[in-house]
Amino acid sequence: MTEEVEALRIIFTEFYYWVTVVLMFLIHVGFCMYEVGASRYKHHQHTLMKNTMLIPLVTVTWFLFGWWIYWAFPTGPGIAPSIMTESTGLILGGGFGGNDLANPTNALMSINLNDHLMGVFWAAFLLFSWTAASIVSGAIIERITTFAFGVLAIAIGSVFWTIDAAWGWHFDGWMLKILGYHDAYASGVIHAIAGGFALGVLIVLGPRIGKFSSSGEPRNIGPRNPWLVTIGLFLIYTGFWGFYAACNVPIWNLGPEYAVEGVTFWTATNIYLTPTTLSGITMNFLMSLSGGLLAGYVVAKGDPFWTYSSGLAGIICASAGNDLYHPIQALVIGMIGVVIAYKLHYWVERKFKIDDAVGAVAVHGYAGVVGLIICGFVLNGYPASGYNVGAMWDGSNYATINPLGQFLGAIIMFVVLGLIPGYVLAKILSAMGKLRIPREVEIAGLDYEMMEDDRSAEKAVASSTR
Amino acid sequence: MATVTNWITHLTTDVDGETIGTQVAGSIYPGAGSSETLLVLLLIVVWIGWHVITNKSESEELKRLARKRHGANDHKSNITDW
Repeated sequence: MTEEVEALRIIFTEFYYWVTVVLMFLIHVGFCMYEVGASRYKHHQHTLMKNTMLIPLVTVTWFLFGWWIYWAFPTGPGIAPSIMTESTGLILGGGFGGNDLANPTNALMSINLNDHLMGVFWAAFLLFSWTAASIVSGAIIERITTFAFGVLAIAIGSVFWTIDAAWGWHFDGWMLKILGYHDAYASGVIHAIAGGFALGVLIVLGPRIGKFSSSGEPRNIGPRNPWLVTIGLFLIYTGFWGFYAACNVPIWNLGPEYAVEGVTFWTATNIYLTPTTLSGITMNFLMSLSGGLLAGYVVAKGDPFWTYSSGLAGIICASAGNDLYHPIQALVIGMIGVVIAYKLHYWVERKFKIDDAVGAVAVHGYAGVVGLIICGFVLNGYPASGYNVGAMWDGSNYATINPLGQFLGAIIMFVVLGLIPGYVLAKILSAMGKLRIPREVEIAGLDYEMMEDDRSAEKAVASSTR
Repeated sequence: MATVTNWITHLTTDVDGETIGTQVAGSIYPGAGSSETLLVLLLIVVWIGWHVITNKSESEELKRLARKRHGANDHKSNITDW
């Protein structure tokens, strides 16, 4: 009987993650629609193609090394000891190098009748990777080359976000142990890092032609298809349900996990294997979405583009602690994040001439950073990990959640692993002449030849039917 | 190449083929245990090749279009019917 129950638990978990992957695919569909809706007609098809091609580019590199980095880097390396290996070195297995589970030549990285979870867990993380890259994609539309975006998408999607996930979104991560970092639904590990990375790229890339007047005043280049933008953002909301569910482990017995004898407690957990419930986080998700929409409607004076984005920013801001917040706390935190992100977006745009075409740096970056910092105050004193029930092999213990740790965590996410790598990579690509499309092409439109060919074909068809 | 030639034998044999009836099966893809490194190398070659080819074609396309120096509204004469 025990074996049957265990088999059911595994099959249930497999199906649970599979559903989250399908739902999260809608995030990418939403980002594609949103970007196309926000871009001008003459750039539509290239804009869509750019975001579509990140799917294979990030997927292949995630298979080759992204997943491996997540499992190999929780210790830093060299910063804090692993509770798995009792060492501060890279967490290495045999074969290719990293943890055997993530070795692309390992038998578990395929259909394997002994394992029902590796593939769906790998895929759930991969969909997070697409999201990270897609956040960057929207900010830089209409002037970046597809080649440069591919390189940047791989960097954020298969390298930098997975490093931050190993550090701060892993039960064995050094940021939990030393900083008491807590980021249950990825305010920092997805959103702040991607927002910071986008800002780093934007600094080098520069604004779209005509965005700023000769006196430096910003001009509005509004969305050309408000309905695509609307549907896109609502699809992102929908996919976000899957994102939240994928951040949980659906069913786990915490007593044996923490090596506490005589305790049996079956529950859902967050990524850190500390308890929460899918039921509770559903309330918090909806309340933080509502808080974001309420605040966005006021601060943006009913502008649809910003109000919808503010719903997303509300969720993002509350996400760090949505495994533990009261629903009303989630709502208020979402509201605060939206107001700060909105004001900061226009201040940065005016002051530094940054042209963030879809407000991605604000919605994901600023709201994510604010959410991390608020989380440090609201959850001050909570254990960062369930494993702090006893000292680790070296006598140290996990830190508790605290404001300073969260603030430093926000800096690591937004600046150290986001803005700086984005800036440096964009500089390198720019020096190679590969970052930005020629001025003449930006004016004519990336789709010019495609449109011209279609027009010729249409004329030919029309003449043959006379 | 075939990893599985008989499902019952496969499902009731451990990976080393020594213990019968333990329900240890594992990998079932063709070439399991001997082809993984080669497959990963193949993927790396395809991945690099794709970047080289697409980078070249994109550069050519951008240069060709830049030379024509179209105006900001020229594309409007190419809008097709829905």
